[in-house]
Amino acid sequence: MPQVKMETKGLNAWYGRRQALFDVSLDVPDGEVTAIIGPSGCGKTTFLRCLNRMHEETPGARTEGTILLDGENLGRQNVVQVRCRVGMVFQKPTPFPHMSIYDNVAAGLRLLGVRGRGELDRGVVEALQLAGLWDEVEENIDAAGTSLSGGQQQRLCIARALAVRPEVLLMDEPCSSLDPIATDKIEKLVQGLKRRVTIVIVTHNLAQATRVSDATAFFYLGKLVEVGSTHQMFESPREKLTENYVTGRFG
Amino acid sequence: MVPPSPPARSAAGAPAPGGEEGAAPSVRPSRWAVLTWLGRVFHGLTLAVTIGVVGLVAAFAYFLFAGAWQSIAYFGLGFLTSDTWDGVHNIYGAGPAIAGTLITSALALVIAVPIALGVAIFLSELAPAFLRRPLIYVVDLSAAVPSVVYGFWAYIVLVPLMRMSIEPALSSFAGGHSPIGQPGTGYDIFTATIVLAVMIIPTIAAISREALRAVPRIQREAALGLGATRWESTRLGVLRSARSGIAAAVILGLGRALGETIAVTMVIGNIYILPGTLFSAGSTLASWIVDNFTEATPGIQRSAVIELAVILLAITVAVNVIARLLLRRMAEREAGGSSTRRRLRTTHAHTGLASGTGTGPVDPAAPGVGNREAVASRFAARLRTRQAVQWTFVVVASLCVVAAIAPFASVLYTAAQYGGSEVIRPSFYTAVAPLGCNPAPGVTCQAGGIGPYLQGSLIMLGLAALISVPVGLLGGIYLSEYGRNRFGRAVSFLADVMTGVPTVILAVFVFALFLYFDHFAALSAISGGFALGVLMLPITIRSSEEAFRSVSPALRESALALGFPKHRVTVRIVLGSSRSAVVTGLLLAASRAAGDTATVLLCAGGSTLWFQGLNTPTGSIPVFIYDNFGSNYANLQAAAWGAALVLLAIMLAIGLGARLAVRSKYDPTQAV
Repeated sequence: MPQVKMETKGLNAWYGRRQALFDVSLDVPDGEVTAIIGPSGCGKTTFLRCLNRMHEETPGARTEGTILLDGENLGRQNVVQVRCRVGMVFQKPTPFPHMSIYDNVAAGLRLLGVRGRGELDRGVVEALQLAGLWDEVEENIDAAGTSLSGGQQQRLCIARALAVRPEVLLMDEPCSSLDPIATDKIEKLVQGLKRRVTIVIVTHNLAQATRVSDATAFFYLGKLVEVGSTHQMFESPREKLTENYVTGRFG
Repeated sequence: MVPPSPPARSAAGAPAPGGEEGAAPSVRPSRWAVLTWLGRVFHGLTLAVTIGVVGLVAAFAYFLFAGAWQSIAYFGLGFLTSDTWDGVHNIYGAGPAIAGTLITSALALVIAVPIALGVAIFLSELAPAFLRRPLIYVVDLSAAVPSVVYGFWAYIVLVPLMRMSIEPALSSFAGGHSPIGQPGTGYDIFTATIVLAVMIIPTIAAISREALRAVPRIQREAALGLGATRWESTRLGVLRSARSGIAAAVILGLGRALGETIAVTMVIGNIYILPGTLFSAGSTLASWIVDNFTEATPGIQRSAVIELAVILLAITVAVNVIARLLLRRMAEREAGGSSTRRRLRTTHAHTGLASGTGTGPVDPAAPGVGNREAVASRFAARLRTRQAVQWTFVVVASLCVVAAIAPFASVLYTAAQYGGSEVIRPSFYTAVAPLGCNPAPGVTCQAGGIGPYLQGSLIMLGLAALISVPVGLLGGIYLSEYGRNRFGRAVSFLADVMTGVPTVILAVFVFALFLYFDHFAALSAISGGFALGVLMLPITIRSSEEAFRSVSPALRESALALGFPKHRVTVRIVLGSSRSAVVTGLLLAASRAAGDTATVLLCAGGSTLWFQGLNTPTGSIPVFIYDNFGSNYANLQAAAWGAALVLLAIMLAIGLGARLAVRSKYDPTQAV
């Protein structure tokens, strides 16, 4: 068994009075891809947003319970540091407008205080290569980030997140706004990246979960129903609810 | 005759009367003809109204230029620089007024922009939920406080403060040298500048806040997700995206400062000299127009005053046009140059990173930012500084909020202090103004009220609504539903520019218009009401256009798909579903008209009597305040403060009503 990278214990989350997560305890294995599946409104995204404390940015939102990263309690750490260690890619591509491709990728590095041109350049090139975007943008690195296609923009955001060398990368339905070819590129990328960074990916697409993930967690109505290896979850789920969902009987 | 027609629409599949089972509902051809005809009439009506509005703007330009022509022809370009205003020898120039306008507006902008930005950022990025709404409300409200009330406040509070403490302190600090100069009376350029700054801070803050709010939340989270502090996420994710909106806010604030009339007139001293120092009295274009227009003798003197209005118009229109061009250029600007690319190529060659690795493995030993330990230590070293910056940011922004709200609080406090006992007396709203009187032993002062002024204000507002509401709605419908062409965009632009035209210029235009058609009605309720209508018109047109446009196209199309003809879609669906936004726009326009002084002062004059007829001079609440703010009689000053409190209460009620109207049905900020 791989080591546990992140771990939640009895995690509850609320939006105002509405409780979105109920007592979720889940281990995220190190160096693997963990997929989170479940029907709309089941708390997948909320759970993901708790893992880098983005949930608390929503007005009126709060959480209870503990989240551990390498055994350290996230709640006790500096929130800025947490987000450096746990990067995030959103549902829709979010390149900073008015920033070039280069500046987008360099944004996180500059926040960390990287100033030297050589160092910045190396970091940017490396991150773009990791995200498989370098060849496509090498010639127009100064073009606006928003001038890229949707899939390229999403890979730009992945590069931006990777540039600060996070230990965990959270991906919130990163392909939901992309066409099949762009989706395929991102999926390949996810598999290639897991050697360097632990990935947690929320997906609506069950086939995608089987293609990219090693472990899968099934959420329903804010509760964690079942978690296991992706193979086991799709071939021989322990819970009836999981079976119904992965076989497409509801959701 | 139109024969009675069967129902045009019934549920699909349901039997139409007289039709076969399951057949589509039948519609008699004559009904189609009627509907088509109605649609055309409706379209034509909205178009005619819109053309009428353009005609009004043309008349506006014509009457101003025609009125100013005598002076333009006689004095030529020298008018712009001459510093003489000599009614005896009929020699006039605009130099001091232009200088005063530019100096006060520029300085006010320098003071107001940083504070307003701080307020906007605090409201949009930092304020805790329980503070945000009340603060937004307060800022919006302080933007709506009428000019005459700010002027009154400045006269009572700011001028003595300037004279007693601030000016002597600043003067001794600067050693009495120019451009600061020796401390003055308090009625000077500097006080006018501060009043202007106080007045434009809420305007700039409110519009900038909207620009900041318009940046999607995901944009902030993208930065936060990278490990940015609040300040860094504001800088990276928000400010850059919002800068065109912020620029627009600043320029609109500048426009307001340039045209601000009454408050400046009340504190600037109104001396026609080129200001030598900050603490010398002066005048602005707007203040000099108000002070001289009604008394100017017809002929070259009046023409010279109208030329001042033309100059002010030219400046404000130029500011608006510059704003538009600036915005367009910003939108077109692309990020960066080409230097990074060249630099990267060389880096690339040096580090020997193989290109074409794609998603494949990357040599872990390849030089990069460093390993995780290096990142962590770098992080620790920077964190302290970054958090210090973050805290400074929070403190500075909070101080800006305090600085922005303090004058408004002082206005409310002063008004309540002096006028509070007036407004709770029912006779205050029904009695005529008291005779001037100071309390002394053995003297009982008459209390009196503002009855005739309240009546005059209501009558003129009614007239204004009669003009601006139907025209505004029909024009808004044309622009949103039919006028998606070059003409429509031009009218929309024109209306925007007219919104920024100082009301004193509108007043000069309406006065000249009535003078031309009916000499005796130039100072009358009908002229004042018309001027207020002209003031409201661009606001009602643009706000209803925006309200109609915000109705989703899907809603329109689904109604069209049901077989609604276009004009019915417009009336039933578009008008119906944007009702509250439309009403809000109308109310806000009315609240601006209710507090505007320059228009009613120049067009309706003043009268202490109850309403005498539509073509006689008629008093109004703002004019009552303006006439009595400097009164030596305690009871008149108290009544003026009571009137100011009434105006404030109207603004408060309309502001609150608008807020509730918008929020009651659907609040997009609540959507998750």
